[in-house]
Amino acid sequence: MGQSFFGLNIAIRGLYTSQKGLDSVNHNLANANTPGYSRQQIAIVAARPTLMNDGTGMMGTGSDVTGIERVRDEYLDSKYWNENIAYGEWDIKKTLLSGVEITFNEPSDTGFSTVTQDFYSALQELSKDPNSQADRVLVREKAVTFTKYFKNIASHLESQQSDANSNIKAKVDEVNSFAMQIQQLNKQIYTSELDGSTANDLRDQRTLLTDKLSKIVDIKTNEVTMGKLANGKDDKHLLITIGGKALVDHFGVSKLSTTSRDKKLNEEDIANIYQVGWADGNKLILRGGELKGYIEVRDGNGGGNSSPDYNGIPYYLNKINEFVRTFAKAFNEGYTDTKGNAVEGHADGYDTKGDTGIRFFTMTGADGNPLTNDKFLKGATDPAAIAQSYSKITAKNFSISAEILKDPGTISVSDAVGQTGNVNNLKALIGQRYDSHMFSAGAPEDYIKSIIATLGIDSQQASNLSSSQETMVKQVDIQRMSVSGVSIDEEMTNLIKFQHSYEASAKVIQTMSDIYDTLINRLGV
Amino acid sequence: MRITNNMLSNNMLDYMSNNLNRMSKYQNQLATGKKIQVPSDDPIVALRALKLRTDVSEIEQYQRNASDAQSWTDITETTLSNMSDVLQRTRELVVKGASDSNTIGDRQNICDELKQLKAQMVQISNTTYAGRYVFSGYSTDKPLVNEDGTFAVDVANSEAINYEIGIGDSININVAGGDLLNSGGAAISGQSGQVFKDFDAIISAMGASGNAATISGLIKNVDDDMNNLSRVRSGVGAISNRIEMTMNRLDSDNLNYTKLMSENEDVDMAEAIMNLQSEESVYKASLSGGAKVIQTTLIDFLR
Repeated sequence: MGQSFFGLNIAIRGLYTSQKGLDSVNHNLANANTPGYSRQQIAIVAARPTLMNDGTGMMGTGSDVTGIERVRDEYLDSKYWNENIAYGEWDIKKTLLSGVEITFNEPSDTGFSTVTQDFYSALQELSKDPNSQADRVLVREKAVTFTKYFKNIASHLESQQSDANSNIKAKVDEVNSFAMQIQQLNKQIYTSELDGSTANDLRDQRTLLTDKLSKIVDIKTNEVTMGKLANGKDDKHLLITIGGKALVDHFGVSKLSTTSRDKKLNEEDIANIYQVGWADGNKLILRGGELKGYIEVRDGNGGGNSSPDYNGIPYYLNKINEFVRTFAKAFNEGYTDTKGNAVEGHADGYDTKGDTGIRFFTMTGADGNPLTNDKFLKGATDPAAIAQSYSKITAKNFSISAEILKDPGTISVSDAVGQTGNVNNLKALIGQRYDSHMFSAGAPEDYIKSIIATLGIDSQQASNLSSSQETMVKQVDIQRMSVSGVSIDEEMTNLIKFQHSYEASAKVIQTMSDIYDTLINRLGV
Repeated sequence: MRITNNMLSNNMLDYMSNNLNRMSKYQNQLATGKKIQVPSDDPIVALRALKLRTDVSEIEQYQRNASDAQSWTDITETTLSNMSDVLQRTRELVVKGASDSNTIGDRQNICDELKQLKAQMVQISNTTYAGRYVFSGYSTDKPLVNEDGTFAVDVANSEAINYEIGIGDSININVAGGDLLNSGGAAISGQSGQVFKDFDAIISAMGASGNAATISGLIKNVDDDMNNLSRVRSGVGAISNRIEMTMNRLDSDNLNYTKLMSENEDVDMAEAIMNLQSEESVYKASLSGGAKVIQTTLIDFLR
């Protein structure tokens, strides 16, 4: 014979189960839009049957909720983090290179080709009427525009480098902040799970932080089993590493730090560039992530002098510096061409007063004003020492000489004294435009074109890789959502399900109550 | 595969964003008329665009140069024509003066006219164009001859003023003073060129004793001077022809290169508008389809 009130027990168990089910559905619906949330399911098992010692076998005792699990595919999470790392790197490179492209502003009506064309047009007009003061002033003004173009590019590139630098510091701070938060969550999760349950919502938060972290640096996560707990479950510690060194190791955190470089990596760099490393002094090796993208674009000089092997901002600064140096030297001093003929430079010509040895391009001095010939050359007369002066010219300080600025009459067009119609020197200068051996890439305009081509191709590559990575990341995220996302329709169905089972259990209790009533009050009075 | 309502919403946002991206690209093309805005849109097109723009600008510069060369040459041609008239008149006078039937008074009159012709020759030799002396070689600020017919300045025949009318293609537009007035020799300051020597000889021969034989002998000199002038004139004529041919070629080059430049970087308006329209309809379709799908859930149907 069974226990009298046994049925009530089973019904109440059923009631509790349905209640927990409803609570779980409630929780899911409330968190339908929470970022990083994985839906939770209750695990219902039939309760342990009791053995009826009268030969009828085992009797069921209702249902039990043994746990609330979150539905999550950890493999998809690690796949997501992997793809996100590459996405972060290329997305940043795409943005930064796009900024560099806009700085160069080609093809357009205000870019290098227009500025150069205007300069040479002015020289051509001057060659037709060398005595015309108006044409001379025009040449001077076009030359000023020409030099200012480079100054403008250099300034913009430097400010972009500075922005990247500040962003690097911000990202490092972000990484440290995430690491600290993950460490806190580690503690909370560990202590909550000591009794064998799973801390679902805390784990969700931790996964979300790891998602964000994975975009910035190339992390590898692992839940390492360090033996067994007292309750028989595995003792798992979360380990997050960057480049093989642990960022977060269970309760421990190693932070990243930024220190100002005292020695410049590239000579074109601005001051106070941050070197990123571990706070305990170790070298940080990055293989992906936004931080790597920032660092490579900020420091990359095509692999020169141990800088990152990427054509970043210093690479382009270097190229335009090289351009202005070589161009100024060729224009001013002349050179020997491949056939061994001497090509004249501006300094070989004679101006309206019969003076010679005037340099057309010099640089601005410390006070921001153009230098005169003497201050620029510092009295050097032999070619090697003169070449030394040119190595000090950069795109930022490139300018016409103080003499030309003050008096356009010093523009030296003639190759003999006293002949106002003589423009042979000017013709040689104009001819330099087409000399395909001035640079290894060819004539001056070819050199700049090759820079623009490199920039365009690199930027296009970054853009393409960024969009393909974005697609991959989205793809994995869709798979994640497919597994873990809350479906309103599904939850509503479950709601109805649990509601009905609750009502059914309640009905059973009602029925049992009637039976007990009959049993107690009506039988055998 | 299990799909949740959120996935539908997220997908719709993604598709909308993609559509808007494409629409924005075509809108940019339509608004600027260019296929590319930055080199990374299409590096090859960008590079070609740079080259073709330079080409077109250069051709325009050469056209300006050729036009200026044309003006200079026109002035030169007119001047030489005037010189020819002067020498022709001189020859007539010399022939007349060589006749024995002239009295001393007649010869005096001829002499006076000859002096005027010489002065006219001096003036013509010092023709200017836009403030520059046309025949003075590089010394464009100094007149070629003095009042007495001696050269005021040294002009070597190598002092050529060249205008660039193509890449590596220069044209010599000036006539050196010595070439013109000294039978192809150089102009040396302080000395007279052959033409003015002849003038002086004729004037003195006409004015002095009036020896008919001397005067007839000088007819040949005038003929030589006229031949030299013809030589120079035909040279200038050839240059003028060459400039005209070059200008025609430059005009058609300009047209061709501009066409190439436009084909390379300009967008076909009709095509761009069509693309924009089709993207717009795709966008509308995605919006309306998405709107229907994301609104309905089970809740709408439960009592």
